[in-house]
Amino acid sequence: MSKKDLIICRCEEVTEEEIKKAIREGADNVDAVKRATRAGMGLCQSHTCYTLIVKIIHEMTGKPIKEILPATHRSPIRPITAEILAKSKNM
Amino acid sequence: MGKETMNVELAVVGGGPAGLAVAAKAASYGVQVTVFDENERPGGQLFKQIHKFFGSKEHQAGIRGHDIGYSLLSQCEEFGVKTMLNTVVWGIEKNMLGIQNNGRTYTIKTKKTIIATGASENPLCFPGWTLSGVMGAGAAQTMMNVHRVQPGQKALMVGSGNVGLIVSYQLLLAGIKVAAIVEALPKIGGYMVHAAKIRRTGVPILTSATICEARGENEVEEAVIASIDEKGNVMEGTQRVLPVDLICIAVGLRPLAELCWMAGCKFMFLPVLGDHVPIHDENMRSTVKDIYVAGDVAGIEEASTAMEEGRLAGIAVAEELGYLGSEEADEKKNLARKRLESLRLGPFGDTRAEAKRKLTESEVNR
Amino acid sequence: MKDRLKSTPGAWVISREILEASPGYPSKEELKRKPVIVIECPEEIPCDPCETICPRGAIVVGEPITNLPRIDQDKCNACGLCIPICPGLAIFLVDNTYSEKEATVSFPYEYYPLPKEGDEVNAVNREGEIACKAKVLKVRDPKSHDHTSVITIVIPKEYSNQVRGIELQQKVDKNE
Ligand SMILES: Cc1cc2nc3c(=O)[nH]c(=O)nc-3n(C[C@H](O)[C@H](O)[C@H](O)COP(=O)(O)OP(=O)(O)OC[C@H]3O[C@@H](n4cnc5c(N)ncnc54)[C@H](O)[C@@H]3O)c2cc1C
Ligand code: SF4
Ligand code: SF4
Ligand code: FES
Repeated sequence: MSKKDLIICRCEEVTEEEIKKAIREGADNVDAVKRATRAGMGLCQSHTCYTLIVKIIHEMTGKPIKEILPATHRSPIRPITAEILAKSKNM
Repeated sequence: MGKETMNVELAVVGGGPAGLAVAAKAASYGVQVTVFDENERPGGQLFKQIHKFFGSKEHQAGIRGHDIGYSLLSQCEEFGVKTMLNTVVWGIEKNMLGIQNNGRTYTIKTKKTIIATGASENPLCFPGWTLSGVMGAGAAQTMMNVHRVQPGQKALMVGSGNVGLIVSYQLLLAGIKVAAIVEALPKIGGYMVHAAKIRRTGVPILTSATICEARGENEVEEAVIASIDEKGNVMEGTQRVLPVDLICIAVGLRPLAELCWMAGCKFMFLPVLGDHVPIHDENMRSTVKDIYVAGDVAGIEEASTAMEEGRLAGIAVAEELGYLGSEEADEKKNLARKRLESLRLGPFGDTRAEAKRKLTESEVNR
Repeated sequence: MKDRLKSTPGAWVISREILEASPGYPSKEELKRKPVIVIECPEEIPCDPCETICPRGAIVVGEPITNLPRIDQDKCNACGLCIPICPGLAIFLVDNTYSEKEATVSFPYEYYPLPKEGDEVNAVNREGEIACKAKVLKVRDPKSHDHTSVITIVIPKEYSNQVRGIELQQKVDKNE
């Protein structure tokens, strides 16, 4: 397996190369990478790939890890089906 | 579909050692407590820990993790703590929580909230890491000790911190062979006594070594390991192929703090505690009014520290809600802080103690 | 399976020097003279159940709790209570007075199946290498030990400083 095909986000099957491309094109934080590649939008809600993405951003941009903040958390933090949300309207 | 709102005086998110300790403590003074946990049973990490704990008598040393869990549960029961299991807390805003149970969502109104959601395992990526058979050490532990299934026949452990060492030992106890433990740093990360008991079974612990690749069709069949230099580069010619069907990753944990981010808590970057950690004061109160944190979410430590932080938070909340006079509360809080201090001594605890001090002394607390 | 019992060059080992320099390790003279408790816990970790359980006050950790456990062999009567309580499985009982040529080593053991009294087994050193043959003298697994058995084996005296356990009794796939 070549390093190029290395999958970083396994839920959305986003490779290292795709993430690097997004960063080269200006995505310099987790949110921007997420929007550009879908990495982190999967079922696990980026639990798995988050630190890996941070590491790549850090390596490519030189931005200190402490400044790379998690993607903005909007409810819900666990995947919930639309049907369930529709059932209860008061949140 | 009427309004489904519940009122709870103290909501505890997460039923691990930290959450249960908060609940038992606060309830013992009369606070009405409800614990929410996404799992089928409470206890968090504790029920996976079939080994005896370190610490002193007050910390229940020499007793196995799961037995400590049972005793916490019976305390909770005694003081009338309500638990809602199979319940995910998926949102938080001020004094409102969004929860989901049995396919329905509800809104919970609370006076105080404790976030004790624990930690998540850091991944490691290398060619083949998405093959089945590569998993977090914690996941392997859950399979063995909770679900009683063998995650594999022959394993490679990546990481020699206490988690890597303890899970390796538990693999051996479950009759699974451990081909090797590899550690990228030049020295082992966990306690020597843990490493020594594994070595006595002949398992090699290789320092300055890493995994290069996992190979296999759909499942892991082989792992390639190699020595690395100080810069972390693989040294050519040192590669070895190990026939394994399980690769466990134990390269650290980080706080599972999404709810804290969502609530607007301020954070501090402290690598010894697992990177971004919610700032809290010496009563475990976060920077957001009425929200407290305890346990691994407030910095990766141990079950023993998680329980003490939980007790501390429980006392503080009971005091704020008026169930406990300030004099009595101070006395009790100081005892808990003392016990916490003693758990943060020695070469392993020193750096954590210092990082914790940075958190509690941060000016954002004021 | 074979490869597991060979030592791997460069693999981590707990250092004999560090152990012998720690205050839980008996002196050469004590090792010769009587059954002694050997504590192999040379690192400052917050832990003290060995102190709490000892009915004779022979093990002292004290304050702070990260002190290394110190043993007073004159107070110890080799009752062995401290062996199964240690979460680090780091306490052993070595008796070089067992017979003229033989010594016994008692150690904690949590694997199943347990060996049986009278069994011939392979004794292993701190690296898991087979050091010599051993005979199982005693297997103690009372409820109070909470699944940590204490096994006593008889070995040739010259190995009593290296032997710290036995080869796992789990069935091994012979094809490997
Ligand atoms: C292999 C291993 C060995 C260890 N050995 C020791 C040891 O010997 N001694 C020691 O002191 N410590 C040990 N620890 C550490 C100890 O397990 C942890 O520090 C401790 O469990 C932390 O407690 P906690 O309550 O903060 O979190 P957890 O135990 O992780 O509990 C958090 C709970 O919250 C739930 N939760 C999370 N998010 C939500 C949500 N949104 N909604 C609802 N529920 C949620 C989780 O499912 C979980 O049940 C070990 C850890 C590991 C992994
Ligand atoms: S063998 Fe008995 S007397 Fe000796 S140190 Fe252990 S517990 Fe104390
Ligand atoms: S009980 Fe064991 S690990 Fe703990 S201090 Fe005593 S010898 Fe060391
Ligand atoms: S691995 Fe990226 S979202 Fe799950």
